[in-house]
Amino acid sequence: MNRSGNAKILMIGVLTVLALVGVVFLAAAEEGPIKIGAVNPLGDITGAQATKAMQLAVAEINAAGGLLGRQVELIVIDSELDPAKGAAAIDRLATVDEVDIFIGGMSSGVHLGEIPALKKYEKVTVWIGAASSLVEQAVEGLDWYFHVHPWDYLQGQSYVDGWAAIEAEYPLISIDKAFWAYEEGAFGTSSFQGSLIAHADWENIGEAFKSAALGGGDYRSVLRHAQEEDPDIFIWVGYGADALPIMEQAREIGFAPPLFVGSPPGWPADFGQSPLAEGVIAYGMWAPSIKDISPVSDHFWNAYIEMYGEEPATYFCPLGYTNVYVVAEAIERAGTLEKEALIAALEQTEYESPLGETLTFTPSNLIAHQGFQGQKILQWQDGVQQVLWPFEFATALPRYPFTGR
Amino acid sequence: MTLLRTAAQKRSALVLVSLAILVLVAVWKPYALIEGAQRGGLYALIALPMALILGIVGIINLAHGEFMMLGAYFAYWMFRGAGMDPLVAMIPAIVVFGLLGVVTYTLTIRRALKAPELNQLLLTFGLAMMAAQFANLMWTSQPFKPSLMYVYSSMRLGRLSFGTYAFVYDAAAIVLLVGLLLFLRKTRLGQAALAVGQNPRGAKLVGIDVNRTYLVIFTISIALVGAIGAMFLTRHSVFPSVGSPYTMKSFCLIAMAGIGNLTGIVWGGFALGVAEALVMSFRGYGGWADVVFFAVLVAVIMVRSFRIRRQTA
Repeated sequence: MNRSGNAKILMIGVLTVLALVGVVFLAAAEEGPIKIGAVNPLGDITGAQATKAMQLAVAEINAAGGLLGRQVELIVIDSELDPAKGAAAIDRLATVDEVDIFIGGMSSGVHLGEIPALKKYEKVTVWIGAASSLVEQAVEGLDWYFHVHPWDYLQGQSYVDGWAAIEAEYPLISIDKAFWAYEEGAFGTSSFQGSLIAHADWENIGEAFKSAALGGGDYRSVLRHAQEEDPDIFIWVGYGADALPIMEQAREIGFAPPLFVGSPPGWPADFGQSPLAEGVIAYGMWAPSIKDISPVSDHFWNAYIEMYGEEPATYFCPLGYTNVYVVAEAIERAGTLEKEALIAALEQTEYESPLGETLTFTPSNLIAHQGFQGQKILQWQDGVQQVLWPFEFATALPRYPFTGR
Repeated sequence: MTLLRTAAQKRSALVLVSLAILVLVAVWKPYALIEGAQRGGLYALIALPMALILGIVGIINLAHGEFMMLGAYFAYWMFRGAGMDPLVAMIPAIVVFGLLGVVTYTLTIRRALKAPELNQLLLTFGLAMMAAQFANLMWTSQPFKPSLMYVYSSMRLGRLSFGTYAFVYDAAAIVLLVGLLLFLRKTRLGQAALAVGQNPRGAKLVGIDVNRTYLVIFTISIALVGAIGAMFLTRHSVFPSVGSPYTMKSFCLIAMAGIGNLTGIVWGGFALGVAEALVMSFRGYGGWADVVFFAVLVAVIMVRSFRIRRQTA
């Protein structure tokens, strides 16, 4: 074969290779990004910060090359804490945006409205909120449903276990009598009723109050009633808007039980700056101090502040970050977005989360894929939430008794 | 003459009965009296500016609580940004919310003055929604409250130990009431406002600038409620929906006292505050406080209607 013939063959070869590469690139381009659909309440601090954390995780994943050679696109729709709007958001994400997977969201009431829509599409769903066991009943038997937040009964059990462990570890702390001040709505009432069962070994006294979130804000009567009972532990179940006023009014009437516990879904931004916060016990899945013992939490904390210029203020923030990474790791493990492979990959999850624990999915009472198993017992110390229990995540020793100063 | 004497006797009897009830409450449930008076002071304080608009401009401002909410946010950010105590922030709040009142009146209220009452209600309801959503978008639903040591000051009287700071609401309500009464009765503008409130057409005929009067009254009201928002913040958290329950309570208080009866609002607020605190002092009955609030309101309105019907007959 002469030189011109060789050149011709070489040219044809190069063109063929280029054409093949072009076809592959075109095919990849046609596939587009992997779409993750989230439904969060953006007007609420939990939803707003969880969404930002999800966006942070997606930005990190895309910066590292994406998943399966594709970029990740997060499409977020506001549920506005309205079940009907949440359900409509699921419909839109499934039919208009054609997402590959659902993530989110907060509020059991909203999620109960979303579940029928999720059942229509049967896409893989990894949900970080909605703790009510009513939700668990609604998703019983759904193999594509993964739940991250501990169910209400798991939370209740974790408090029982936690206080028992604390009493055993620190003999000075002893709890026989509890006074529960709970907001009069469904949240407070159901929490109190659940606690009566969980803490059956305590003498439990309860009284409802009207939360500031619902037009109340005067807690002095209920605090005086608690003062008359002289409990070992005083627990209020309300909203963040109640947090500082309830401490101020307790101080005003001179009420300082040995253990003062607050259980709002989120604490107000300035709570730690008040001297009255010192020694207050909190329940939660995460505290900023966990960054001191967890490199993942430390990375999350710094990256979030760098990206948004604000500190994570609710545990839904690291939960949102966890939500995206759990899904991302499962997609990588599965190597495909095919449903059965993705479910199998999610079942193998062992994600070291910024909340401290390594997340795995195990069966709960009714579903096959339950993530975290309980909450933590925290304490405000010198303006910062410290972890008291579980002891493996403890960042400080308990300060006891509460002094109300 | 006999009618006047009978009315005076009835009033004296009412005062005596009220005093007897107060003494009974003071002896039986002293905290209910103290804390009820403090609650009532806050209710009255918030209701007074709304009564001013309703009595003179003739509009039910359903955005009243939302203006208070914005005032609380304003004070919070003055506290955070400039280290200004919320009580001091009341001064700039008066200026800022006065301007907001001018803008709101000029752009919206003025154009709905001759519209049907339902349209006016919808307008102010829309303003309330806008304000709440604006706050939600700006600051999310997260509550904010500055930590202020003076708000939990307390004193002991014998065996009684109670907070003293919340009496600031009673003091402010009384100061505001006296100020408004002096303004309405002793100043030319106030007298003009009273005339406009009673008969805008007649006031216009005698040369009063009705529109200007409405503007001034609306501006004063919004300036006051903005400043009250700053005072409210000292003891309460601020979040987007914090204001709306106070709009409803203020309106109920005005309805109870009668439109134009500013003094009645203060007494009514005091009575409702004590009634609520009395109910709440019984363990497990706190949830009945709202029922009592509205039961007292319904009872007062019914008694008044009955009296008016009897007088007419």
